[in-house]
Amino acid sequence: MGFLVTSLIFLVVGVIASLCARICFNRGPSANLLHLTLIITATVCCWMMWAIVYLAQMNPLIVPILNDAE
Amino acid sequence: MEERGRGCCPSMDLMRSEAMQLVQLIIPIESAHLAVSYLGDLGLIQFKDLNAEKSPFQRTYAIQIKRCGEMARKLRFFRDQMLKAGLPPPAISGTQPIITLDDLEVKLGDLEAELIEINANGSKLQRSYNELAEYKLVLQKAGDFFHSALSSAEELQREHSQSGEESLETPLLSEQGTTTDPSKQVKLGFITGLVPREKSMAFERILFRATRGNVFLKQATIDEPVIDPGTGDKVEKNVFAIFFSGERARVKILKICEAFGANRYSCNEDLGKQSQMITEVSGRLSELKTTIDAGLVHRGNLLQTIGEQFEQWNLMVRKEKAIYHTLNMLSIDVTKKCLVAEGWSPVFAVKQVQDALHRATHDSNSQVNAIFQVLRTREMPPTFFRTNKFTTAFQEIVDAYGVAKYQEANPGVFTIVTFPFLFAVMFGDWGHGICLLLATSYFIIREKKLSSQKLGDIMEMTFGGRYVIMLMALFSIYTGLIYNEFFSVPFELFARSAYVCRDPECRDSTTIGLIMARDTYPFGVDPAWHGTRSELPFLNSLKMKMSILLGVAQMNLGIVLSFFNAQFFKNRINTWFQFIPQIIFLNSLFGYLSILIIIKWCTGSKADLYHVMIYMFLSPTDDLGENQLFSGQKMTQLVLLLLAFVSVPWMLLPKPFLLKMQHNRHQGGAYAPLQDSEESLQSGANHDSHGHEEFEFSEVFVHQLIHTIEFVLGAVSNTASYLRLWALSLAHSELSSVFYEKVLQLAWGYNNVIILIVGIIIFICATVGVLLVMETLSAFLHALRLHWVEFQNKFYEGDGYKFYPFSFSLIDIEEE
Repeated sequence: MGFLVTSLIFLVVGVIASLCARICFNRGPSANLLHLTLIITATVCCWMMWAIVYLAQMNPLIVPILNDAE
Repeated sequence: MEERGRGCCPSMDLMRSEAMQLVQLIIPIESAHLAVSYLGDLGLIQFKDLNAEKSPFQRTYAIQIKRCGEMARKLRFFRDQMLKAGLPPPAISGTQPIITLDDLEVKLGDLEAELIEINANGSKLQRSYNELAEYKLVLQKAGDFFHSALSSAEELQREHSQSGEESLETPLLSEQGTTTDPSKQVKLGFITGLVPREKSMAFERILFRATRGNVFLKQATIDEPVIDPGTGDKVEKNVFAIFFSGERARVKILKICEAFGANRYSCNEDLGKQSQMITEVSGRLSELKTTIDAGLVHRGNLLQTIGEQFEQWNLMVRKEKAIYHTLNMLSIDVTKKCLVAEGWSPVFAVKQVQDALHRATHDSNSQVNAIFQVLRTREMPPTFFRTNKFTTAFQEIVDAYGVAKYQEANPGVFTIVTFPFLFAVMFGDWGHGICLLLATSYFIIREKKLSSQKLGDIMEMTFGGRYVIMLMALFSIYTGLIYNEFFSVPFELFARSAYVCRDPECRDSTTIGLIMARDTYPFGVDPAWHGTRSELPFLNSLKMKMSILLGVAQMNLGIVLSFFNAQFFKNRINTWFQFIPQIIFLNSLFGYLSILIIIKWCTGSKADLYHVMIYMFLSPTDDLGENQLFSGQKMTQLVLLLLAFVSVPWMLLPKPFLLKMQHNRHQGGAYAPLQDSEESLQSGANHDSHGHEEFEFSEVFVHQLIHTIEFVLGAVSNTASYLRLWALSLAHSELSSVFYEKVLQLAWGYNNVIILIVGIIIFICATVGVLLVMETLSAFLHALRLHWVEFQNKFYEGDGYKFYPFSFSLIDIEEE
């Protein structure tokens, strides 16, 4: 679906998650900031991992070579 | 130094320790006990020991503590007795009868005396009972001897009187027949009793030897074991009857009986008297039994009443002991008849502490209010993070390495996400992740019930870390979807695989391989790779580069946190001469490597990155040739190399000199007027006034040298250390794949139900034992190491001490 589109999806999911956290777990400014930080960190980590695996497969230098059996 | 929140956004409590202050409380003596009790309920003050030089016996409340110790001993005695009597362990009842400590002491003393008396009487009665039981057995069996001997004698007598001969078999006991002189009659004495069965042979032998064969011993076994009155154990015994003549033999036999622990009981020959004795003894036995039973019932009732109130008394005694320990730490102000307390308390707790003191004053009908003052001090306060049940486990992980220095950035905030994430990178399999999630949801669902139970050590640790494991499982499901492994089996979940055969017959698929015809697989690793010959080269290259990228990202985060620390503590030297050169050094080398990796992936170039990095150092001016990834690369590399070289002396040299200049400036201004404020009573101990610090330039320089070398070499070694993410992930997927292929698929291939079932059982055991337990622990450990060493050594000092307030709830946990 393209790199940029999926990255945008990650961004949107992150924003929705922060809004949900703000609505469901509203416990004062300090706790809200903590939740926001955690969600941003988690989104960034997950996006990084996806992006790395996606980029590595975009222009591969080797291709799958099947085994002889079966 | 206490500036929180930079205007734009609110401060985050977990990021830096709560603001703590040193407070001084002056409490009048009459309300001291109540005040400390209420403060203990509140649990927000850590008292300092103001009487540290005194020994425990010199302190004011030593006597009270001894009393509490005595009461605790009595309570322990009660608990032992209750356990021995087999009563269920006392439950915590809801009602709280109010009883003073003195009354409780008296009551405990009375109960203890009563219980000891009951126990003593009970054991005495039991002993008498056992003796009587033995006596009864002796009477029965010995009676049998006499009876059988007499009847056989009469029988033989009758036979012989019929035959009219005297022979050797004429029984001796037929006294009716003899007409000899009474004085010449040999009087036989006898002794009856019980001897333990294992000693009976030796008993017989020694008797025989000691009396030179002049005794006659008859033994009869008793079927059931008998309770020995002396020891109270069940022993198998034999009844014996020894017939002897003469006083000396009697003395010897008595001594031997005592040596063997044989209990003697006198027995009458006369049959009539014997049966009389037996009935008498039986009567007494049943009487004793009823008495003993009544005694046991009485004891049981007593223990029951104790048991109902046991937990409250226990709690009360522990609380009182804690209160007196705390009171011992306060110093008495002799002139003013009040106690002075010093302690650390969070700033937010001021109102609560003052309320507690007011209530204590009110409840103790004291005339004078307690005084609450804040002291200024240069001591480092303890570190206090307010954590809930979710963040506690992560904070403990960080604290296990070192407690944060007061108000430095807490790595725990990021650890909540990055620790499970790095675990998941090493664990990635969404099938295993689901298993972990199910296991931990059991713990979370039954949280309330399990938290009040006592669990074993390992269960306790697993239960404490349930939220950590839950996050680990969730991230593992995510990375499992990315690695496309479900118990090592890939699925085409998101789109069709990108690889197809080059021609319709797939002739070249095993030699040259497939070809990429469709779009890149949108989420994760393409399922076509699994089981191919080129799977490992591809995945290894991918995972190694991923490890480097994640590692550089986390290390940069660490250095940025050190920047935030420098800003918070207003340390401009650290900002300019530590943070900036560190960032430049790390990123000009490994940040550049990361960028090269990304460019190589985006362009599909065949450049060899090892070659590029190594020759960047060895011969930077050479032409790159086919390793060229972007135009202007040579120039860029030269510039970055230069920046890296410059940043090393930038880290090393200016800071010591600037520190020295700073120190000299402060030396000059040491004679500023003293501020009018209260100083701590303990200020002599660690007084950090301006001019006292010894500034050894050589020490500071060496310290900075070590720090610089550590950072520079660490940049390389830490980046390489992140390759463990690749290594463990490879191990996990290989193990998983072996178990699947060699166990499950093999069992499936036989088409036999029994083999299939056996195969499934082996697969489940192997998966749970090796992959879910061992691999989890292994990945946990390595993720922990990456956090503790590679992430935290960029910014964390961790030499603080934890806030440990005086709180009754903490004491309860400690005592358990």
